[in-house]
Amino acid sequence: MKKTKTVLGEARQIGLASELIHLGARLQVLESETTLSRERLLKLYKEIQKKSPPKGMLPFSTEWFMTWQPNIHASLFMNLYQSLITSSEIDEIDAVIRAYKLYREYLVQLEMPEVLSITRAWRLVKFVDAGMLTTTSCKECTGHFVVHTFELTKDYVCGLCNMPSRAGKTKCNSAAQRQQAAIEAADGEEAIEAAVVV
Amino acid sequence: MNIQNLHNEIREANLSYLILAQNMIRADRAEALVRLGLSEDVAGIIEQLTAGQLLKIAGSNMLMCRFRFDDSVVWNLLLSHTKDQSSAQGMHAAILMAGKSVEVA
Repeated sequence: MKKTKTVLGEARQIGLASELIHLGARLQVLESETTLSRERLLKLYKEIQKKSPPKGMLPFSTEWFMTWQPNIHASLFMNLYQSLITSSEIDEIDAVIRAYKLYREYLVQLEMPEVLSITRAWRLVKFVDAGMLTTTSCKECTGHFVVHTFELTKDYVCGLCNMPSRAGKTKCNSAAQRQQAAIEAADGEEAIEAAVVV
Repeated sequence: MNIQNLHNEIREANLSYLILAQNMIRADRAEALVRLGLSEDVAGIIEQLTAGQLLKIAGSNMLMCRFRFDDSVVWNLLLSHTKDQSSAQGMHAAILMAGKSVEVA
């Protein structure tokens, strides 16, 4: 990326950095996508999030994107990203931010948990750029899904056409379901009591 | 529906579609292109249309918008409402729809 030394250029960089921080990006993403110094980014991060950024390395495995639920979320993000980048001429990081916002819009609409963080989404784009991951189309639904680049994908069937039996049954989900069932049961009892009183 | 009513309905649908499209393009071009499934060229033309031109185009006998997803798979996914799978099917439909706009562009 070109070093910008103008005040306006710096203002743009700060705008970009703060947007990424608001979306929950890790410091490494900011360092790679903006020309601001580490000290300034750290200060900006603390100002916005009111806490120090998490330490440690970024998740670096491509395997995570292959497990059932992450694969679906990653594929949705990647489809949105690719349609943004092919339909208009925008910067890569701009497309990542917009695609991520659209992805979150879907999650709100479908009442699903946020599986893919902005940092993971950014890594995904980097993995695809580096040729480690790519998308292939499912032979049943023709949708595009994230896969390893050198995998045999002639007869690829996606995780949604061919759902594994325990798909989506995470600890978090089943806890929520139990809670929901308990609430419904309690409501039922109240209704019966009310009926008895009447 | 008689022919005059039909023309009126088409004109209204056209007008609200064109106005919505124009507002979306003016607000955020890149996002609007994805949501509308338009090409950059057509988006540029719609963005520049005056109110008079909008009315004139809307008044034709043809609908200016059409179904984007010419695929029964997407429709079936959007229609199904089994309770525990509706979010997975919603995701599936979303992936297919987002992917379709790549192919068109």
